[in-house]
Amino acid sequence: MDSPPPNPPSLRLRPLPATGLGRAALGLLLGGALLTVGLLVQAGGAKIGPANRPVEEPAADYVTSETCRSCHPGNYASWHASFHRTMTQAAEPANFAAPMDGLELSHGDRDYRVALQDGKYLVRSKPAGAAASAYGPPKAIVLLTGSHHLQVLWTETGESRTLDQFPFAYVIAEKQWAPMEQTFLTAPGPQQLYDKGYWNNGCITCHTTNARSRPGPDGRYDSKASEFGISCEACHSGGREHIAANRSPLRRLAQQWSEKPDPTIANPARMDGPTSTLACGQCHSISAFRDAAKTQAMARDGTQFRPGMKDIPERWIAQPHGRDHPAERAALLQENPHFFGDSFWPDGMIRVTGREANGTMASPCFQGGKFSCLSCHDLHPEKTDPASLATWKTEHQMKPGLVGSDQACLQCHQKFQLRLSAHTHHAAESEGSRCANCHMPHTTYGLLRALRSHQISSPTARETVESGRPNACNLCHLDQPLAWTAGKLNEWYSQAVPRLEADDRDLALGAKLILQGDAGQRALIAWAMGWAPAQKASGAEWLYPFLTFELNDPYAAVRFAAWKSLQTLPGFSGYAFNYTSGDATQKEALSTAYRKWWFEVRKESTPHRAPTLLLPNGMFRQEIFDRLLDRRDNRKLLLAE
Amino acid sequence: MNTSDRHLRFGWWSLFTFLALGLGLEILHGFKLGWYLDVGNETRRLMFTLAHSHGTLLALVNLAAGLTARSVKGFALPDTASHALMWGAILMPVGFFLGGVVIHDGDPGLGIALAPAGALLLLYGVFGAARAFGRVPAER
Repeated sequence: MDSPPPNPPSLRLRPLPATGLGRAALGLLLGGALLTVGLLVQAGGAKIGPANRPVEEPAADYVTSETCRSCHPGNYASWHASFHRTMTQAAEPANFAAPMDGLELSHGDRDYRVALQDGKYLVRSKPAGAAASAYGPPKAIVLLTGSHHLQVLWTETGESRTLDQFPFAYVIAEKQWAPMEQTFLTAPGPQQLYDKGYWNNGCITCHTTNARSRPGPDGRYDSKASEFGISCEACHSGGREHIAANRSPLRRLAQQWSEKPDPTIANPARMDGPTSTLACGQCHSISAFRDAAKTQAMARDGTQFRPGMKDIPERWIAQPHGRDHPAERAALLQENPHFFGDSFWPDGMIRVTGREANGTMASPCFQGGKFSCLSCHDLHPEKTDPASLATWKTEHQMKPGLVGSDQACLQCHQKFQLRLSAHTHHAAESEGSRCANCHMPHTTYGLLRALRSHQISSPTARETVESGRPNACNLCHLDQPLAWTAGKLNEWYSQAVPRLEADDRDLALGAKLILQGDAGQRALIAWAMGWAPAQKASGAEWLYPFLTFELNDPYAAVRFAAWKSLQTLPGFSGYAFNYTSGDATQKEALSTAYRKWWFEVRKESTPHRAPTLLLPNGMFRQEIFDRLLDRRDNRKLLLAE
Repeated sequence: MNTSDRHLRFGWWSLFTFLALGLGLEILHGFKLGWYLDVGNETRRLMFTLAHSHGTLLALVNLAAGLTARSVKGFALPDTASHALMWGAILMPVGFFLGGVVIHDGDPGLGIALAPAGALLLLYGVFGAARAFGRVPAER
């Protein structure tokens, strides 16, 4: 008899052995998962940002510099070292240029006190002289702009992300706090240059990347930017398409072998001159809005401009005498006849710093279609070691080899290299043979310093007669009259001699302008009096009385320039002076400095030439001095960067 | 020359070569050469470091293969796997090295194409060795 077949073996799932190793692996997995979730939540939370200030929130086609970093480490490094990056920063304690702990300042009718609390600097204010108990509620300092010459602080307002101006700026080179209005060339007296919300509506445009000011109907701002500071995408356009396209290694390989620029990204270095200049000029220019609708759209969504475009959709770079945009210019001047105001010399040349594109675009070189900012500047130098980057950063981001040389101009104007002295009528090695000293003189002013004009021009006596702008010759030869310059230019370059007044024949232009000129002219001359090539060309001994006198100029910016120039003269190195102090203190400082020069520094043996307005013993020729001072151009001037 | 000797000989020479490369990299560090150390040359530094580390490690792998063939009775590494192990140990680090000589921002140069080819050969060689080891009689 057959025995029944055995039951088939049943399939049983065996539980995992509960070994120590198994438990450990399971624990590790769970721990890893929890950590990942935690990190994701934290990363998600960080994007929201504080509610009391503008925040970084990428939008549209912007992906931020962190995304660019992995593929372009060298370019990222040079940008990271630049002042562009730190143009706007969150007010983290490490980002302040000034020591903030225990800071107490007074200005106008208020006292200010700053204290650190929970990692934030809080500012309180009270009426000047009131008891300490009168300090009002604290306001957090939430944002910083600038990191090169000045750093400006912005406080919360309690009105969404709207900012207000802290009334002082930190002058970095001097390690000194100054009232905001005394960091610009502006008429004397306390004033608030920037109203509440000005940062949100104005500064944000050029001090961040892909700015959206986002004003609300209640006047409050909900401002956002893709990135604080001027980052990669400000110059290269939004990178989203570029990133997506270049995930393919084959595309990248093809691009490496291609002569053509990558169409998914803008590269100003490969653009024609005007297009490249516009990429920089979107910020480095005086521009005007086209119409209200475009302005509102830009405030809401950010600019539609991307580098590589031939024009800015919402704005236009406003040149007073340009041939471009005739309809816009006519409409602008009809609406605001004083739009160009103090920012330009009467002949249309830009007069303030930070707006170099206006000068560049008005240059004869620009007409050739190749000349651009990048003809002289290099935003991504090849050498990216810290020392090289630090040098490049402080040398105005010039191309290697162009600093202090003529190579910037000789790239195109090679013919002058062989006959330099014949062209300049100065010794080849002298400052008078440096291209920039004649063709890019220091005739723009801003951030408490004179800067070279970026409108390439040739010096004329006529420009000084007609627009009041000191010509390049007299910015070195401060001790020579304008007639001397006109004669030389006539003799050397056959320039017509303009009609000159008696003072132009008899008085040194430097002496005349520092006494009679407007505040901008005075600031430029005071600055030039401290410029080594000018001191070498025109002598330094006669400069003392003018510079000490200008320590009492009504304009703080002129006082600052005079003080800094005075410090360059023998006997006044490191001379202490508070250019922001009150009128009485300034008069005393003038008197003290003058006495120091007269009794301690003056060389009695130095003969003074008549045009310098000084008697042989060094005293002013009082009658002429008084006459020039009576004629001083006292109109209120504002030269804001 | 048998398989064991071939791997040992190759392994030791390869080890010498890529350790020497490591010494070269230390010298570049010592003299702070921007061509190697600058942030803009980060890709070159990465490629050279990868060449040094992979070359050294793969030399040790070849030494291990040679010693395994010599000491494990019954272990017979197929010729194709043996050659793949050696060529993989050449192409991968050399690819990294050549990829670092010419760089394009964050991308290595064309020489990097040798690295994945070497990686595939290496995988094949290691797979062959693993299979060969599986055939070694259990009673050894």
